[in-house]
Amino acid sequence: MELLQDLLTTFNFIVQGLWVTVSVTAVALTVGLAIGLVMAVARVYGHPALQLAASAYSVVVRAAPVIVIIFILFFVISRYVNLPPFWAGALALGFASGAYQTEIFRGALQAVQPGQMIAARAIGMSRLQAIQSIVLPQALRLALPAWGNEATLVLKDSTLVFAVGVPEVLRRAQQVSARTFEPFLAFGVALLLYLALTLITTQALRWLERRYRLQI
Amino acid sequence: MKKQMLIILALIAAILAISACGGTPAAQPTQPPAQPTQPAAQAEGKLAQIRAAGKLIVGTSADYPPYESIDANGNFVGFDMDLIRAIGEKLGVEVEIRDMPFDSLIASLQEGKIDAVIAAMQATAERDEKVDFTIPYRMTKDAFIGAGDTTIVMTKPEDAAGLIIGVQTGTVQEGWVQKNLVATGLTPADKVFSYERADQAALDLASGRLQLVLMDAEPALELAKQNGLKVLLVTEKTAEGGKSIAIPEGASDLKAELDRIIQGLIDDGTVKALEEKYGLP
Repeated sequence: MELLQDLLTTFNFIVQGLWVTVSVTAVALTVGLAIGLVMAVARVYGHPALQLAASAYSVVVRAAPVIVIIFILFFVISRYVNLPPFWAGALALGFASGAYQTEIFRGALQAVQPGQMIAARAIGMSRLQAIQSIVLPQALRLALPAWGNEATLVLKDSTLVFAVGVPEVLRRAQQVSARTFEPFLAFGVALLLYLALTLITTQALRWLERRYRLQI
Repeated sequence: MKKQMLIILALIAAILAISACGGTPAAQPTQPPAQPTQPAAQAEGKLAQIRAAGKLIVGTSADYPPYESIDANGNFVGFDMDLIRAIGEKLGVEVEIRDMPFDSLIASLQEGKIDAVIAAMQATAERDEKVDFTIPYRMTKDAFIGAGDTTIVMTKPEDAAGLIIGVQTGTVQEGWVQKNLVATGLTPADKVFSYERADQAALDLASGRLQLVLMDAEPALELAKQNGLKVLLVTEKTAEGGKSIAIPEGASDLKAELDRIIQGLIDDGTVKALEEKYGLP
């Protein structure tokens, strides 16, 4: 009974960090999606200079540990632009995820048969129209499984934003553990919360995959 | 080709613009308005800045009870937290406490993200190069502990002369024993035992291989409680330094004011009362 009581207090405390974790992840995935789409299109269809810029971004950012990007954004850039910790952390995470998403969408764009582009141009579409209405929608469908994987990775990378003082689920677990000297209980609760979030994310994406599957 | 390139460039610009705007909304009404100046320049007149903002932003690492931790309701509690609130009261400003990893505290202070750090931090030479420190608000203390049934009585550190003593390797306490007991001939060198960790020394104390252990007072009290050992003497004489508040490098006006307030709180017994409240030796 006492254990149940402990579990309940621990859970109630840690769960308050859930909203922070969810919003950091959501902001990061959205920012990463926007960057990733633009960079992938630039890499596959862009002017050579744009292709170079996009691949430079992708290579450099994927080479750097996410925590380094977070520190740079928070301590260096926000010297000039006054970013609160939440935004510094979430945007840095998005900037990092953008590089991985670039590669996901690049692969998907290249997997669309070249005949699609040729046919679209043949019926009078401009290149941009063809990308927008013919190639990209097909590529997005192909990208979904890999994107779902990236979503779960970003969810877990969201633990890194505590480095700049954003109290997400893991930090709240550390706080409880420091107070109660029961690390197993505290981190066990954190584990369950991440497990639940991951299951919800993967279920939602599976639904999307089914929804947009080709019906043959 | 050109048109398409322009569109992509526009998209990138749009994203950059969004990212830049993302920082400004008043999502957290925590920080004072933008401080585009260099951190070094901020240090000047820091006290006036804090007074003008009406708020002292303090960083801590809330995982070190009884100095700083977070209670079940999410409030910052502990010796340091009470102390900094008392200081804020004297300063006439509100105190806002932010939790961050211990390793990020100095960097955040240097970059002007926070005004001060209170985290049971000692003013080591390395840290002193990066930031400034107030006078210590609490001196580090050491404790001599003995077995539960020991008959040794100590009134001063030198009473340890001639007894079999255990210390942790590489610590201030080991240095004190070597300098004050061994080098002066009070204790033969073969009666001093150095351990990798202090709790190992405590185990040997409990099993009778040692007569005394000299170590940091706070963990000593905890160890004594757990292992049925006896605390013989708590002293500042064997320890070095104390815990200070870190402030930005060069913020001399802030340092002068905080030093004055801390000295006042020590003199009027506030610090002593807080030590008792949190069971600190």
